[in-house]
Amino acid sequence: MMETEPTEDIDQPLRDRLKAHPGPALLWGAILCVLLLLEGPTYLDGLLGAIGAGLGLLPGAPGAEAFASASAYFGELPHLLSRELIPNRGYYDGSAWQGTFLGLEPKYAWLIRFLLVYAYVAVLLGWLWYGYVLFRRHYRAADWTPTDDVIDRLRSHYWGLFGLAVVVFFVTMAAFAPVIGPTTAEENIEGPYSYDMQYYNEDTETVETVTIGEANLGSASRGSGDSNVGVWSYDDFGRFHPVGTLVSGKDLFTFLAFGARLSLFIGLGSMAIAGFIATTLALVTAYYKGAADLIVVLTSDSVQAMPALLLVILATVVFQNHWISELYNGAMLFILLFALIRWPGLWRAIRGPALQVGEQEWVDAAKSYGQRPTVIMRKHMAPYILGYLLVYASLTLGGVIISVSALSFIGLGINAPTPEWGRAINIGQQYVASQSWHISLIPGLLITLVVTGFNALSDGIRDAIDPQSEGAEGGAAGAAAGGGGG
Amino acid sequence: MSESVVDTVSHQTGETLVDVQDLKTYYEDGGLLGSDPVKAVDGVNFEIARGETFGLVGESGCGKTTLGRTLIQLETATSGAVSFDGTDITELSGGDLKEWRRNAQMVFQDPESSLNDRMTVGEIIREPLDVHEQGTARERREKVRTLLDQVGLMPEHYYRYPHQFSGGQRQRIGIARALALEPEFVVLDEPVSALDVSVQAQILNLLEELQEEFGLTYLFIAHDLSVVRHICDRVGVMYLGNLMEVGPTEQLFQSPENPYTRALLSAIPEPDPTVQVDRITLPGSPPSPRDPPEGCPFATRCPVRIRPEDIDASDAVWDRIREFRDVIRERSRAEQSVGERLKERLGFDTALADSEEIVEEEFDDVTLPPDVQEHVEQAATYLSDGDPDAARAYLREVFGSQCDTETPQYYDVDDRQMSFCHRHAQEHVSPGDELRQRGYDTHDG
Repeated sequence: MMETEPTEDIDQPLRDRLKAHPGPALLWGAILCVLLLLEGPTYLDGLLGAIGAGLGLLPGAPGAEAFASASAYFGELPHLLSRELIPNRGYYDGSAWQGTFLGLEPKYAWLIRFLLVYAYVAVLLGWLWYGYVLFRRHYRAADWTPTDDVIDRLRSHYWGLFGLAVVVFFVTMAAFAPVIGPTTAEENIEGPYSYDMQYYNEDTETVETVTIGEANLGSASRGSGDSNVGVWSYDDFGRFHPVGTLVSGKDLFTFLAFGARLSLFIGLGSMAIAGFIATTLALVTAYYKGAADLIVVLTSDSVQAMPALLLVILATVVFQNHWISELYNGAMLFILLFALIRWPGLWRAIRGPALQVGEQEWVDAAKSYGQRPTVIMRKHMAPYILGYLLVYASLTLGGVIISVSALSFIGLGINAPTPEWGRAINIGQQYVASQSWHISLIPGLLITLVVTGFNALSDGIRDAIDPQSEGAEGGAAGAAAGGGGG
Repeated sequence: MSESVVDTVSHQTGETLVDVQDLKTYYEDGGLLGSDPVKAVDGVNFEIARGETFGLVGESGCGKTTLGRTLIQLETATSGAVSFDGTDITELSGGDLKEWRRNAQMVFQDPESSLNDRMTVGEIIREPLDVHEQGTARERREKVRTLLDQVGLMPEHYYRYPHQFSGGQRQRIGIARALALEPEFVVLDEPVSALDVSVQAQILNLLEELQEEFGLTYLFIAHDLSVVRHICDRVGVMYLGNLMEVGPTEQLFQSPENPYTRALLSAIPEPDPTVQVDRITLPGSPPSPRDPPEGCPFATRCPVRIRPEDIDASDAVWDRIREFRDVIRERSRAEQSVGERLKERLGFDTALADSEEIVEEEFDDVTLPPDVQEHVEQAATYLSDGDPDAARAYLREVFGSQCDTETPQYYDVDDRQMSFCHRHAQEHVSPGDELRQRGYDTHDG
């Protein structure tokens, strides 16, 4: 009860409250400007590129050219996190490293860029958190909200924070894939024979030029004898490989970074669609009950009764030459398939909470003064089930990542050469017992880590939104934890 | 119903605001089995005058909350009419219904559940104003502050969340929300039953002050009889979806007429421990509202039920006959349930013994007159033939009376007091006399 301000002040809109006390907000804005300036070209490049790609899908592709060229223009501009600013590829001319950042060894040049990316993301997250704290302290009209408690509980949930850290690590790797790898997917994986590189030939003591494809032949990891480039080592061409190379000699780290992008894209995409379907249906069934509920129960049971793996395999074959499987090397098809397969599970999971909140008297109260059903669902019901949706969606997301990898493992998933973790595991399978163990093991460990991370994060969110369930062995906790498998 | 003034409160005008005519609200399961609907409100008639507080009392499950919800159109009436200021609101829909809703609001029972915890107090109270687009945003906020003040809260509570308030304060927020649209009629659904006793009095006083200030008409639903006696002008007593008795509060509490009202009121604890009160303990439990008795709804438990003249038996024997009929009734209902039948087939104990055992259990310590004995054996035969419905019908035929076959009508038993009981008819002994005759204490004696 520390209400000291007069009544009039409470009524001010946010704009006036900002004007009255601009200091912290200006500082916050300044940090944002710095962060944007450092990476501005990347954002513009990405944004315009996405618009261009979107327009390219339309018949006639109006304006796609212009966006693509604008995107390319911004892509050329210098910015902090770029291969051009901190290059790691070069050659040793017998006395010094040529073409690398400050003449450093490629290893260190790459490491600096890698760490700089994570430092940038850390600052970005810190800036977001700082903004939240500032808003809470200086600008929010309410001195307490229920969300505060949720966030405070999550802050002291170390398992959940571990999950958050893993997820951030993974998302950063996916988002900055072109910058974070020692080489690029285009040059190293997709078109190795279209690009040249220079290296120092120790026998002839000259700098020679080969295509990357030829170099890759010399850097292959095939288990036996000399042909292995393991973890944290150079190949014969002076290229640094943080986690070794693939059987084809391509860089495994670059492969993993772009694979993360694909896994995340499929996982988030399918969960966004499935989550939207599940939430809409949960709200409608909990509000109207009766026949609406019955129809959805029957539909979801029918979907769940289909053997998911067979359905996916069938669909990949049926849509083989269809335009939809051209989108992002078939990733779009998987997004739609997994959204179709996974929404019933999500809906089942949030149906209980939705029915519960639908029985609350505040819903009746809203009906009694004539609130529209759509608004009642959005305002009085949805906020109570979104937390649960987040929990189950992040659990299911782990399952989707595993499923996609599993499909690639058996050769049905994303087509080569697009990087996909499951394919790396498949390729390296026969070398597990040899010195080239890294090909299978590292992607395998990464999948385990990422799925564990998503599960840990969902544990944390669940305990934060529903403290009663904390530490519970059975019941809700057990039910929530059960959904993570493939 | 006469309009003579007995103990009306000053703000009453006597003009009818709500007129309920033969209102029925049934809950259909909507299941595939097409089972009987729950007859929550099964033909109710009463009027509420403008400015009065009409109390509705009864056991839990008697349909009083459903009746209240039907009056503000949260439930759809199955049949009958609710005329509000001359308009039949059961016929309204769409824009007309929404427009009408501002006239009638509800205060809910549980203040923990009636406020959305994710919204600030200001947003909660403002929502009805937003829905009906009253005034500008600033005017609405101003209105909310006034309401907060009127219900005894602080204007700066606007940006607080419900979590930060006690039960009594939360109920004040609920009241402010109900009053936001300046309704004429407010349904108070057990507004104080979830609160501490000390807080109950504050809320009741607040409700009375607000009624005075805004000229509100209340429907006050409660099971706490002392609260009803304190706040209500008139009271209706509900049992199994029917209104058993209606009358001015004091009159009804002083001299109840209906047997059910007498039983209900005899359950009020007597503050003086030296006074010996013989409570009218009702046997059994209320029948299922899916399958209410034909005739009078209270017939299965009534202490003064009319007995057929051709059978001469002692009170003890009649008691046993009633219990026996209850058991048969249960058995015949159980026959309708798929689950029970399945359980029986699988050899589980269905809590219903064989016919001989039932008869033995019920009648082994009383001597039955020969004609009663004969009837009971006949019913037992039907039962062991696996036809409990026939047994039930047979028992109703031989032991039943007007109470089992005819729905009573409302009798004017006193000035403005009506009772729903066959015994008020000329040809029968009145409920009070019959109670005394059967050995009960009555406090109107």
